[in-house]
Amino acid sequence: MPVAIAPPSQAPVAISATLTETDVRVTSGFTGAKISVYGAVFDPRGRPSDVVVVVRGPEQSVRIARKVRIAGIWLNSRPVVFEGAPGFYRAASTRPLADITRFTQLRTLGLGLDHLTIAAPAERRVETRYGVRDMVVSSLGADYHAWRGAVVRLKQTAGLYSADADGVTFLDRGLFRAQVDLPADAPIGQYSARVILFQDGLPVSERTLPLKVEKVGLERALYLFAHQHPWLYGLVSAFIALAAGWLASRVFRRS
Amino acid sequence: MDLYLPIAEVSVNAPLLVALGAIVGFISGLFGIGGGFLMTPVLVFLGIPPAVAVASEANHVAASSVSSVSAYSRRRMVDFRMGGVLAGGGVVGAFVGVEIFRVLRLLGQADLVVSVSYLLFLGVIGALMLWESLGAILRSRRGQTPKPRRERRPVLLYALPWKMRFPKSRLYISVIPPIVLGFLIGILSAIMGVGGGFILVPAMVYLLRMPANVVVGTSLFQIVITTALTSVLQAGRNQTVDIVLATLLLIGGVVGAQLGARASARFRAEELRALLALIVLLVGLRMGLGLFIHPEDPFVFVTGGG
Repeated sequence: MPVAIAPPSQAPVAISATLTETDVRVTSGFTGAKISVYGAVFDPRGRPSDVVVVVRGPEQSVRIARKVRIAGIWLNSRPVVFEGAPGFYRAASTRPLADITRFTQLRTLGLGLDHLTIAAPAERRVETRYGVRDMVVSSLGADYHAWRGAVVRLKQTAGLYSADADGVTFLDRGLFRAQVDLPADAPIGQYSARVILFQDGLPVSERTLPLKVEKVGLERALYLFAHQHPWLYGLVSAFIALAAGWLASRVFRRS
Repeated sequence: MDLYLPIAEVSVNAPLLVALGAIVGFISGLFGIGGGFLMTPVLVFLGIPPAVAVASEANHVAASSVSSVSAYSRRRMVDFRMGGVLAGGGVVGAFVGVEIFRVLRLLGQADLVVSVSYLLFLGVIGALMLWESLGAILRSRRGQTPKPRRERRPVLLYALPWKMRFPKSRLYISVIPPIVLGFLIGILSAIMGVGGGFILVPAMVYLLRMPANVVVGTSLFQIVITTALTSVLQAGRNQTVDIVLATLLLIGGVVGAQLGARASARFRAEELRALLALIVLLVGLRMGLGLFIHPEDPFVFVTGGG
């Protein structure tokens, strides 16, 4: 009688991942950063696996307006505020997301440019903000998808949102890699990288890795100075301007 | 050599900005204008957020104007009293302008107002100056004597109360027109990110009837005061002055301004004015173009507020 070997399915399927850099330091020479996500899929049965890597930057509210033509002149409509759009978004996967799993899964997990969660109140809300009356916070209704699509499209044009259906590559059995390019104008703040393993269209294992982008050194000092002591900062910058102008005129008088 | 700007939060090419600062500084010294109307659109084109471009540019204009105003004052071509009166109005105007700009940004109409202001002010002033100076050039080519200066005393200047003597300009006029002029230019300087010299210079010649030799230096003196104040206000109120950006621009700017002020002695006044008019007109038309062409994308991000 053959000895029963423990069925491999009993061993848990898991995913493990790490970032090559967890702390991106923005110095005066910062021109963007290339970060790699390395990881491994542990599946004793070796079933077909798909990996999705989603990097999301700090949330920022975005104001967007539609151009309308009035009397032959293109004007901006009232701006609409999308609260909590990620400042950076990249979805990388081994295959097109639609082939990996169903629409509802993508929607629930917020995967891909069509599904990433952007908090915008669905109902009309007009309120007074910053002393300006009648700010439209959201009055989108049926137009919602056009506006939301525009936010994603404009962010994509600016290089801040992207999706890559070949962005995750398996290097060896179970070992994978994805690359994330942060542009120089990527927002400062706390990012997160979600690495999700899909099998048979279902998420079976997930890891979330923190990633921080921060200004350091002189950049940080100047930024803090400008925000903590704005009036002093203004006086100092005006003084530099006036002194430089005066100095130049003295130097040129001698020559 | 790329440099990351701490407030604008973008990376820029440092030598390019120094060179741009020098070119605009040269133009500034040559024509006695701040040069902001040229630099602000260029900075926005280079990807710097408009609010930061407007505020940092005020700082750069202050620097290159100090540099050239001291060159002019050595040649006794500055009417400090008139400049002070203009600046008095300008200071109040700058306060009002910074607040107007804040509200416009929140309403999402800042871009529109900036485009319209450029088209309107630069377009009209450029066209008028070009017409006038081309006429003057043609007359002198034909050997005709220039039209005699109109000696009519404008009611606006002489009938109003609070008259004041301006010995340098050889004027004895009411202080109300210069104060109102300074006020309007202060508002514009905050909204358009410009010193306002392109309006001030013709206004001093045609409205205040100041002698041409003190106009440029006096305009620069008033610009120094208004833009220095605007940049402090923008930093304090909106935190939009990027000191690294401003420093890069002013390194080139102060040197360019000196060379420009020297070069101005070698040109004829009408030719200089025709050239300036052409630059002003082209920038105005270029900025206004966006109002009429079909946008590539019907949606735009609007800055500020957030």
